[in-house]
Amino acid sequence: MIRWLIKGMLRDRTRSLFPFLVITVGVALVIVLVGFMDGVIMGMMDSTAHLDTGHLRVVNKPFYDEEHLNPMDRALGSQKETGDWLKKNSDPAIEWSPRIRWGAIMDVPDEQGETRSHTPVMGMALDLLSQDSTELKRLNLAESLTRGRMPDKRGEILVGYQLARTLELEINKSVTLIGQTFDGGIATDNFTVVGFVRFGIFAMDKKMALMDLADAQETFYLHDMVTDWLGYLPAHVSFHEYDEYRSRLESALKALIDIHPSGWARDDLPMAVSILDQRHIRPIAEKFLVVRKFIIGIFLFLMVVVLWNAGILNGIHRYGEMGIRLAMGETHSRLILSLVGESLVVGIVGSVAGCALGGACTYALQEVGLNMGDAFAQSGLMLSDVVRARLSVGGFVRGVIPGLTASVMGTLIAGLAIYNRSEANLFRELEAG
Amino acid sequence: MKNPLIQLNGITKVFRVGGEDFSALHEINLSIEPKSFMSFVGPSGSGKTTLLNLIGGLDTPTSGEIKFGDESLGDMSPDQRALYRRENIGFIFQSYNLLPVYNIYENILFPFLLANLKESAVRDRVMSIIEQVGLMPQINKRPSELSGGQCQRVAIARALVKEPRLVLADEPTANLDKENSYQILELMLDLNKKFDAAFIFSTHDEKVTKFVRREVGLEDGYVRWDKRRNGVGDFE
Repeated sequence: MIRWLIKGMLRDRTRSLFPFLVITVGVALVIVLVGFMDGVIMGMMDSTAHLDTGHLRVVNKPFYDEEHLNPMDRALGSQKETGDWLKKNSDPAIEWSPRIRWGAIMDVPDEQGETRSHTPVMGMALDLLSQDSTELKRLNLAESLTRGRMPDKRGEILVGYQLARTLELEINKSVTLIGQTFDGGIATDNFTVVGFVRFGIFAMDKKMALMDLADAQETFYLHDMVTDWLGYLPAHVSFHEYDEYRSRLESALKALIDIHPSGWARDDLPMAVSILDQRHIRPIAEKFLVVRKFIIGIFLFLMVVVLWNAGILNGIHRYGEMGIRLAMGETHSRLILSLVGESLVVGIVGSVAGCALGGACTYALQEVGLNMGDAFAQSGLMLSDVVRARLSVGGFVRGVIPGLTASVMGTLIAGLAIYNRSEANLFRELEAG
Repeated sequence: MKNPLIQLNGITKVFRVGGEDFSALHEINLSIEPKSFMSFVGPSGSGKTTLLNLIGGLDTPTSGEIKFGDESLGDMSPDQRALYRRENIGFIFQSYNLLPVYNIYENILFPFLLANLKESAVRDRVMSIIEQVGLMPQINKRPSELSGGQCQRVAIARALVKEPRLVLADEPTANLDKENSYQILELMLDLNKKFDAAFIFSTHDEKVTKFVRREVGLEDGYVRWDKRRNGVGDFE
């Protein structure tokens, strides 16, 4: 019977082609839209994570509580010990990077050594000089240089290209950073600007400077200390899962603190936060989920309405066939079941085609992306200029489920007319042709 | 008289039309024997099709009882009536009602598929009936490629392939020319003998009258005459 039905569907394209096209296009659109939205939100999160927050962050609680003051005296001690503990006690998928957040006045001298210009800068210190540093790749620094080169020795810094423009900096020019040391004294050090970086985020391009971690530890007297350990999760981990990773890490940290450690956490109160708990990202993520559900719901509704109508047209087109089948002794429920079976086949085939089409478009958007730099130019958000879609299994699932549901539901609603059809009139109806 | 195949006892059918009751059949009492070859004749609105509906289990009487063998159709649920039709009744329609996307073989195979039988198990029976209705050369053709007479042959083959005990044919010759009508009637008469199936026609085609062995005349829902004959000739 199934073969017989499939044969009929293949031969009678009016029965299958339109629903197939509706499902293909619907599923493809859902996959592209979900992929694009995931790409935007995950792109935003990744940009923010790479430059600022990590997907997870281990920080001293007193530092976190007064973060706006950048209190370096509350940095986490015992850098090596901390790193070893994190590697041993956290999920192996997480990559940990020590960072120091710093703030200072950047002073640019003239030829006589007098201040020509100066401005407050926000800075991040990270491992720029190690051979095996993962930070360069993570921040895509080499490709982001607009001028100059990467630092290759101590005492060299990178600055945002807009900052360089504001301060009229030149490559290899010396600048002085004036800040506060770990113990509250004044820190001053000269650095050579070796490169201008385009972070792709307006706020960073205008205010950011990067130096090597060891330089920051020396300048700010943070020997063996860092302000943050930033944890990075693989790209396939969605932001829904960040809380789970955070909570596991938090439990491990709690257990460590509870046994009164003699080691690295002795004088500190390390805590774990996820990116969702920083920069007000959680409300944005929650709204994003609502919008995504709404969009999928709209597509599901539209597809059901269209397929319902297609089902009715199909029912009219096959009125005679349905009548003869009822007359010949097929029960109403079995007739509906066979129509649902047909719609399921169309739904599956349409979903597969929709996945291929939507997957291809999403992949293209993921690899090439859309340059929204002009639109984001004045934004303070950490958004990359190039917005990329993100292809994920979840995106396919979110496309396929509405596709199949719409196909079956549309048929079921249309099938109500068949279900209610009276056999008593079959002779007259069938004679009418 | 042999045990009847169908027994109608006091059948009345009332329809509600425009808020008023309309009696399509009044107190019909009929016995139909196995292997009958008979017709219900009468003008439009006389109750022929309603009677076929009731015998075929497509509708239920307002009062009275219809028995098929020992089974009363009135006691059956809709699904049981569907099963009754599937197992015992073959239908032939004026406008053939073949499934247009399937070829002759597939159209005739369909009743078996409804009964969940495998094609391999029934292929020979399908081929045999196609041969008997003389459509072997057209076996792979679809209904749109056939003449009216050929379509009606397919419909007859489809009705008979499962060897039902009763074939109900509503105006089977109405869409056919004279020559095709005679050929179809001869074919049905021949198959009536071969398959032991009773044939009941609803018709006002006089050509059919020449072939049937019994003619029940209906008028305004009443049986006005019930004539029989043996072989060819006038009714008794």
